[in-house]
Amino acid sequence: MSWLFGSKKEETHTESGAVSSGIDPKLGFDPSQISSVSQIISAPGGLDTSRLHPLAGLEKGVEFMDLEDEELTHMEGAQGLIPSRGWTDDLCYGTGAVYLLGLGLGGSYGFFEGLQNIPANAPGRLRLNTVLNHITKRGPFLGNNAGVLALTYNLFDSALDAFRGKHDIYNSVVAGALAGALFKSSRGLKPMGYASVLMAGAAAAWTGVKGVLLGQ
Amino acid sequence: MSADHTRDPCPIVILNDFGGAFAMGVIGGCVWHGIKGFRNSPYGERFPGAISAIKARVPVVGGNFGVWGGLFSTYDCAVKAVRKREDPLNAIIAGFFTGGSLAIRGGWRHTRNSAITCACLLGVFEGVGMMFQRYMAWQNKPMAPPLPEQQAPLSA
Repeated sequence: MSWLFGSKKEETHTESGAVSSGIDPKLGFDPSQISSVSQIISAPGGLDTSRLHPLAGLEKGVEFMDLEDEELTHMEGAQGLIPSRGWTDDLCYGTGAVYLLGLGLGGSYGFFEGLQNIPANAPGRLRLNTVLNHITKRGPFLGNNAGVLALTYNLFDSALDAFRGKHDIYNSVVAGALAGALFKSSRGLKPMGYASVLMAGAAAAWTGVKGVLLGQ
Repeated sequence: MSADHTRDPCPIVILNDFGGAFAMGVIGGCVWHGIKGFRNSPYGERFPGAISAIKARVPVVGGNFGVWGGLFSTYDCAVKAVRKREDPLNAIIAGFFTGGSLAIRGGWRHTRNSAITCACLLGVFEGVGMMFQRYMAWQNKPMAPPLPEQQAPLSA
């Protein structure tokens, strides 16, 4: 969705992984090791005539997100479970995953509710419709609300990341608290507080699960 | 149409499209239902009316957009996997199945009409996209550098 939310890339990626190993990813060799032309030619991978052919490298196929415009995020601590190119990816993946989760949970709840509410000795079509009605009542309701919450959470989270320049658990918890408060903001202070605490707890739990999955 | 490198590979892109379409629906729905609720409320109740319209309707709009986008992306990936090629026909076939799936509870006629309408809509989208692409290519076409002015031969 980068065409929708076109974002400016900041040029802050001086410390990417390739630099630490000393090999420039564009050149294929370490420039500090070179003193003469013959060394460049004899360096392994330096000048390979097969790589100069116009059709070289086609067997590798299109590599996943290897274009310069589509670099992955370099923000400290922002590396998640799936590669992310910035806040639009976080927003889309986070919202989509939570929406589908809510839809699935609500739908399965509605499925069992519908099975229980089937009228006695009804024909098959009526049984099917009862179950489907319950699924479509519960699933989208839970999914929509969870999706809106996740959308707000991700917007706050990315805004805080951009503001602080790094991502950590405090960002997530504060973003969760703000999203919960905004979600219930028209109901009064007490529901706002409850929703805020619940969402902050959910954000903290998610950060913990993500840390375990990433092996940190 | 060549492969689009700004999009992720296939199974995972469904999640991205779900979220993106949902976000689009929520943001657009906020504007739409905010204005609608504002205009349809009596004086003095206009801002509360706009807020309650947004609260009531926007998650539904977002969900409808999200389900459409996610279903379309799912069918698009499935069609790509079956046909093993990427061209405008993929989107049209995926649109046909999406429209049919969303209308499947309305009966056979409704399902058929909705599928055909959706396929036509996607066909128009793809056509406009291809026209736009042609136009951009025509604008950026390679040009021969202008020749320098021919020098007049020196007269004797």
